[in-house]
Amino acid sequence: MASPTAADVLHRAAELRGTLTAQFRDETVKSIYAEAERVARRASHQTGSARYDFDQRIDRLVTSPIFGLPIMALMLATVFWLTVAGANVPSAMLANFFFWIEGHGAALFDSFGAPWWVTGFLWHGVYRGLAWVISVMLPPMAIFFPLFTILEDLGYLPRVAFNLDFLFRRAGAHGKQALTMAMGFGCNAAGVIATRVIDSPRERLVAILTNNFVPCNGRFPTLIMIATIFVGPLVPAAVASLAAAGAVVGVVIIGVIFTLAVSWGLSRTVLKGEASAFTLELPPYRRPGVMRILYTSLIDRTLFVLWRAILTAAPAGAVIWILANINIADISIARHIANGLNPLGHAIGLDGVVLLAYIIAIPANEIVVPTLLMVYMGTGMMTDVTSIEDVTNLLINQEGWTLLTAVNLMLFSLLHNPCATTIITIYKETLSIKWTTIGTLLPLGLAFLVTFIVASLW
Amino acid sequence: MSADNCGSCVVNAELARMGVNVDKVDRVVALAGNPNTGKSTLFNALTGLKQHTGNWPGKTVTRAEGGFEFASVRYKLVDLPGTYSLLSASHDEEIARDFLLFGQPDATIVVIDATAIERNLNLVLQVLEITSRVVIAVNLMDEAKRKNIDVDVRSLSRDLGVPAVGIVARTGEGIHALLEAVGGVASGETHTTPLRVKGTPEFHRAISELVPLIESLAPGVPNARWIAIRLLDGDAEVEQALSSGRLVELAAAQQQAAQRFSGKIALQGAQ
Amino acid sequence: MPPALLMSLGGLALALVLYFAFGWNLRRRTDQTRHRLEDALKHLFDLEYRGRRGSLASLTGVLRVADRVALDLVSRMQTQSLLVTRGSEFDLTSEGKRLALQVIRAHRLLERYFADEARLPLPKVHAAAERGEHHLSPDAADRLSASLGHPVVDPHGDPIPTRDGFVPPAAGTPATAWPLEQLARVVHLEDEPPISYAQLVAAGVAVGQTMRIIASTPERLVMTDGENEFRLAPAVAANIFLAAAPRDSGQRSAARLADLATGQAAQVLGLDEACQGYSRRRLMDLGFTEGATIRPALSTFAGDPRAYEIRGTLVALRRDQASQVLVLPQEQVS
Repeated sequence: MASPTAADVLHRAAELRGTLTAQFRDETVKSIYAEAERVARRASHQTGSARYDFDQRIDRLVTSPIFGLPIMALMLATVFWLTVAGANVPSAMLANFFFWIEGHGAALFDSFGAPWWVTGFLWHGVYRGLAWVISVMLPPMAIFFPLFTILEDLGYLPRVAFNLDFLFRRAGAHGKQALTMAMGFGCNAAGVIATRVIDSPRERLVAILTNNFVPCNGRFPTLIMIATIFVGPLVPAAVASLAAAGAVVGVVIIGVIFTLAVSWGLSRTVLKGEASAFTLELPPYRRPGVMRILYTSLIDRTLFVLWRAILTAAPAGAVIWILANINIADISIARHIANGLNPLGHAIGLDGVVLLAYIIAIPANEIVVPTLLMVYMGTGMMTDVTSIEDVTNLLINQEGWTLLTAVNLMLFSLLHNPCATTIITIYKETLSIKWTTIGTLLPLGLAFLVTFIVASLW
Repeated sequence: MSADNCGSCVVNAELARMGVNVDKVDRVVALAGNPNTGKSTLFNALTGLKQHTGNWPGKTVTRAEGGFEFASVRYKLVDLPGTYSLLSASHDEEIARDFLLFGQPDATIVVIDATAIERNLNLVLQVLEITSRVVIAVNLMDEAKRKNIDVDVRSLSRDLGVPAVGIVARTGEGIHALLEAVGGVASGETHTTPLRVKGTPEFHRAISELVPLIESLAPGVPNARWIAIRLLDGDAEVEQALSSGRLVELAAAQQQAAQRFSGKIALQGAQ
Repeated sequence: MPPALLMSLGGLALALVLYFAFGWNLRRRTDQTRHRLEDALKHLFDLEYRGRRGSLASLTGVLRVADRVALDLVSRMQTQSLLVTRGSEFDLTSEGKRLALQVIRAHRLLERYFADEARLPLPKVHAAAERGEHHLSPDAADRLSASLGHPVVDPHGDPIPTRDGFVPPAAGTPATAWPLEQLARVVHLEDEPPISYAQLVAAGVAVGQTMRIIASTPERLVMTDGENEFRLAPAVAANIFLAAAPRDSGQRSAARLADLATGQAAQVLGLDEACQGYSRRRLMDLGFTEGATIRPALSTFAGDPRAYEIRGTLVALRRDQASQVLVLPQEQVS
C-alpha cells in the first residue's frame, strides 16, 4: 500500500466521522468521566461525614439571601477603608522624603552653578513628577493589592461574582466582571488584565471597555479632595467627614451604574449577543500562602503597575514644568492653553485649567490635582497641598468654583478617558486599534455628555 | 548522557519555536492542572523568585516559566494555563495542548486536588492520551484530611500507570518525593504505562482504523491514537498541523533522534 | 486653467461616475440573479429530500417573484443543465444537486455558527444564514466547519451535507402523521415559513424532546412532553418531524436541573440538545455527564444563579443553563 497523504487521512477521518453517532465529543467525555469515576472511587474514600462541614456553613452565610450582600459590602468597604486610611501616613512620609531630596538636589545643582532651567527641568519637573506619582500611588497599592490577593486566595472572590451575577446577567455581561471591577479600584490597567478570567470574548470585551468606570487609586485623591472641600461644608461640621465619604461612595455607585448601563448598551449594539455560558467554579476555601500573596500582589501587581506609571510620569512632569515656566507675553504657556480651552470647559461646568490638567494627566491621573493647583497659583511647580484651607480659599474665592464645578469635576474624573497605561493595556489585551479607540473615546464622550447635561440642567 | 543531549537537540529546536528558551537547561517540565488546584503555589514553591512571566506568543494568556535544580539536573518549569479539559478549544486549552503536543516536554506534572479527584482526573486522562511522561501531584492532601477524605495515592498511581505523589504545595510537604518522580520520568528511567480510555466499540473501531494511516503518514509519531481521536472530533488545529506537515516534521525529527540514540548505544555496546 | 482641459477633466469625472454607477448596478443585478438561482436550487432540493417535487407555482411562492421571473429562472437553469422538467414538475440534475448541496451546506453551517457561537436567538438564526449563504465559498465553508468542530446537524436537527455532498436520508414523520400515544423524539423543526417556526419556538418545542401525541383533530393537535402540553394548529404541527424515541430515553421522569429544589439530589441524564457549542463543551468538561450525582447547594437572593455540587466540586450556573441539564431526581432519603 502506498503511504497515504495528509489529505487522504483527513478525508478518511471525515468519512468515519460521518458514520459515527452524531455526538462524538459527548461520547468521548462520557467515557473519560466513567473511567475517572472508576479510578477515583478506588483511590479516595470519604471517612466520616463531610456533608455539613465548616466550609459549607461559611458558604451558606456569605451567599445567603439576607446576609450575602451586606457581608460583601462590609468586606469591600473594609478593604477600601484600610487602603485609604492606611495609605495616608506612608504617603505623607514618602512625599516629605522625596521633596526633602528634591530640595537638597536642587540646592546642590545651584551650588554647582547650573542654569536655573536645568535645575528646574530636572528637579522640579521630571523628578517631582516621579516623586509625586510614587508617593501617591505606592502606599495604597501596596496595601490594596495584598488585601485583594488574600480575598482571591481565600476563595472569596468567586463568591462575590456569584452574588452579583444577577446584575451582570441583566446587562448581558458576565458575573466575573465584578472581580475585574474590584481589581480596577486598584488600577484600571490591572483590571483590564484581570478580564482574562472571562472565557467569552464578547463578555471579556464588555468588561475591558467598561473597566474605566471604576475609579482607580490614581483618581481617588481627586475625588476625596473635592468631596472634602465642597460636600463637607454643606452639612453640620460634626458629620462633614461622613458626608464627604458618602459623596465618594456615591461617585463609586454612579460608576457602577454607568458600568452596568454601558455594558447593557454594548450588549445590544456593537457587541450584540446573549449572555453566554456562565460556569463559575466556587473553589473550597483555602488558607492563603504568605509567599504567594507577597509575590503575586507586590511583584506581579504593585511593582508592575508602579513601573508603568513611572515611565509615563517622568515625561509628564517635564511637560508640566515647560508649560508652566515658559512665558509668552508674561503669561505661561499653560495659562494660554487654559484660556483657549475655557469656552469648552465652561460649557461643561468646568474651566480650561481643569481640561488642561486632564490633558496633561493622560499619562497618569494622579497628577491632576497638583497640575490644577500649579496652574491656578502660577507658581511654576507642582505644589504639594499645604493645607486644605488654602486650597478651599484658592478654588472658591479666587477661581470662583461652585458646587457645580465640584460635582462635574467628580463626574468628569469618574467617566473620562482611561490613562495612557490603561489605553496601552487595552491595546495589548485586545490587539485591536478599533476597540482601543472605542475604549478611549466612549468614556471621554460620555464624560463630556454627562457633564454638559448636568451643567445645562443646573 | 551525551547521547541523551543529542536526542534533545532536535527537541530543543522545536521548543525554540514554541518560544521557550532552553539554553543551559537539561530538561523541560510542563506544569498542568485544573484551576484552583494550587498549581501556581507549587510553581512558586519550586521556582521561588527565579521565574519570569509574559504572554504566550500571539495570545493574551499569561505564561510563567522558571528554573530549578534538583539532584544536579537543571529543569525549566513551564506553567501551562489552568484548564478543566483540553477539548474545548478555548485559548487556554489550545496553548496547554499545543505545548504538550509540539513542545514535547521531558515530563509533565499534572496537579490535582485531593478533595475532588474525580473531576480532576478528566484532565489527567486527557493528558495521558497525549504524553506518557506524566507525574501526578496530588495536592491539598491536608485539605483532604480535614474533610475526612482518605486518598490512596498508590492506588491512583497503579490505576493510571504513572507515578503519583501526595503533596501539600503550601508547606512544601512531599515536594522532594515529587521531584524524584519527575527526575525518573524525565530521564526515562521510570517506565510508565498510561491508562488510555477505551470508549465505545464503535469509536474504538474508527480509531483503530485511523491509527495505522497516521502512523504510516508520520512514522514515529508518539501519539497517533490521540491524533486519531482529535481528527474524529474534527479538531481544526490538529487537522491543520497534519496537512501543513508540522506533525510529520516533528515525528521525523523525533525518529531521527531516536535512531541516533540507539546507534550510539550500539556503538557503546560494541566497545 | 484652459477651458478645454477643464471640460475634459469634467468629462472624465462624469465617465467615472457613470462607469461605477452602472457597474455597481450590473453587479447588484447579477448578484440578485445568482441568489435567486441558489435559493431556487435549495428549494427544489429540499422538496426532493422530503420526497416531493417542485413546480413553477412552488418556486414563485418561495422566491416571492412573478411568474415571468420564475420562468426566466427555470429556463436559465435548464440551459445550465441544472434541472430537467418532467411535465409541470422539475427534477434537479446531478450538477444541480451538487450546487444545491453547496448552498445548503453553507446555510446550515452558518445556522450552527449563529446559534452556537454568536448566540443569536433561534428564530433569528435562519434569516441570518439566509443572507450569509450566498457569500460563503466552499473553501470558506470548510474552514467554518473545521472551526465549529465539523458539526453534523444544524440547530433545527437537519443534517449538514459533507463537503463531498453526502447527506443522510431524511428522518422523521410530520407530527400530523404520527400515531397517537406513541412515544416519539423531535428530530427536526422546519424553519420555513418563519412565522410557524417562531410559533414552535415560542411554544417551547425543541429538537431532542420526547413527545407523545394526545389528541389530533382537524383544528388542533395536542402533544405533551410529560410535563407541558402543546396545543398547535395542524398546519404548524406539520412542521414538527418525529421519529421513534429510543427505548430507554426515560424522559418521563426526567426533570430539569433548574427546577430541582435546593438540597434535592439527582442524577444527571444528559444535556438538552438545544445546548450546543461552547456552552455544551464547558458543561461536559466540568463533569455534567450521564450518571453524575448533582445537588443544588447554594442560591443567591435573586435565586439565579445557583451553585451545584457535582463530582466533589461546587459549580455555579445561571438558570437558563441549568434548565438545559436533564436530571433524574433521587428519592429523598429520610
